[in-house]
Amino acid sequence: MTVAVSSRGDAAPPFIHMDIGHDVYAAVTDPNTAFWALVDKTRIHEEIAGGSLLDGYRTKADSFARELHALRFELKPSGVYLNPTERCNLNCTYCYLPGEQRSGGSHMPAEILNASLGKLRDYFRSVMPEGRKPRAIFHGAEPLMNKEAVFSAIDAFSDDFVFGLQTNGTLLDDAAMEFLTSRNVSIGLSLDGPFAGITDATRQTWGGKSVHDKVLAAMEKLKGYGSWSVITTCTTENLPYLTRMVELFHASEVPTCMLNTVRCTLPGARGVKPADGDMSKAFFAAMDRTHELYRETGRKLMVANFANILIGILAPTARRLMCDISPCGGGRAFFALAADGGLYPCSEFIGLPRFNGGNLLAAGGVEAALTSAAFQTVTTRDVDTFSPCGDCAIRHFCGSPCPAEAHEMNGGMEKTGAFCEFYKDQVNYALRLIADGKANDYLWDGWDEETETVFNHALN
Amino acid sequence: MQQAKHKQHPQTATTVPAVPAPVIAVRKSCNPDGIGLSHYVLMDKKAAK
Repeated sequence: MTVAVSSRGDAAPPFIHMDIGHDVYAAVTDPNTAFWALVDKTRIHEEIAGGSLLDGYRTKADSFARELHALRFELKPSGVYLNPTERCNLNCTYCYLPGEQRSGGSHMPAEILNASLGKLRDYFRSVMPEGRKPRAIFHGAEPLMNKEAVFSAIDAFSDDFVFGLQTNGTLLDDAAMEFLTSRNVSIGLSLDGPFAGITDATRQTWGGKSVHDKVLAAMEKLKGYGSWSVITTCTTENLPYLTRMVELFHASEVPTCMLNTVRCTLPGARGVKPADGDMSKAFFAAMDRTHELYRETGRKLMVANFANILIGILAPTARRLMCDISPCGGGRAFFALAADGGLYPCSEFIGLPRFNGGNLLAAGGVEAALTSAAFQTVTTRDVDTFSPCGDCAIRHFCGSPCPAEAHEMNGGMEKTGAFCEFYKDQVNYALRLIADGKANDYLWDGWDEETETVFNHALN
Repeated sequence: MQQAKHKQHPQTATTVPAVPAPVIAVRKSCNPDGIGLSHYVLMDKKAAK
């Protein structure tokens, strides 16, 4: 529930009062600057009406507004998702890539991949500070279907990019594992269930074979590696098992996982979309379990998608992932290269030809794509400008992701994403953690080492 | 309002006061250059094996 509360004076910030479900605290926010405060519920009206909180905030509001504006509108791309093939050996229920591409599509030839990386290197050098490397993530379909080209490119451009690879894990044999880990490539796996019967409900080969055990084997091999993660896509099929998932991940020493809501861009995904309330209930039970496991063992399992929400509240500019912000990072902080050379704001759009911003190797390349109508349709999607987001207290902790599913599922860029209520619940959960002094338990140790505290108000 | 330039965790499990503070409001800031990926893969840690 949100309630607008009037503050003293003509220049009063438009604080919005939120019930976060906490025994002691409610929240107030100025959504224009992503400012928040937790206030004793018995004192909420007097604190908002005037006093040191309001006075302190007024001295910082302009700088917070500038900071948020820079984050939302002034970033240059620093990452690219590379799709080296259209093919995949799996046929997952919710994939955002068209089935005909995944079953019978083409590989990007090695020489084209190398030429593409050369052009991308030159582009990133032109926009990134000297000494910082762009991120290049090989991505699906299944990039290891075109392994020789991918590995050749990683060796050829090892000085120019920090590489990652998101894979279904089924082709990650010992040689591939050795190649990738010896080159410090970040590796992302996907697993949807704590046991085969659940994983198989959404992730199988085209012939209907289970891949669950192969992913478990890959996880076992990656124990001790410093940069790997596992994505669970949350659907109606695995929602009752999310707590079991985090128990499996913790026992397997997975350093970081993501419990991502299914992206509903293509119709197949919508058939396994959970209701927001069901998603919240299962997700927070799993989050609570990660905290219990941390307290029991002293070892954290990071749930990165939630950690990003939490960091977005505590330190808006320190967030790592750029889905939960408006405009989203697609087409401005990162972009995607399809196997046919087409540029898209994000891999999520590769199945939607109208969002093709041109070919990387054509004249204009990245710069032309970034200014194309296809990209700007995405990069100008601004939650401040459409309802109901424009009046929402948490719109800059959420960003109303994702534009692809807003467009395809809900009918336009000026529509909400697929999980509006779940995002509100996540923000409330995060604020309750802050109120209870538990926030750092859900974040990486040292997550704030490169930050400075610019506001700290604690009246006693 | 207090401002600090030094690293400081706003909250930890061991620093919750016995009497809750009437107001909690913390914000940290950093240079956002060089970040920006989607939810598909996180590349946040240095690899080591």
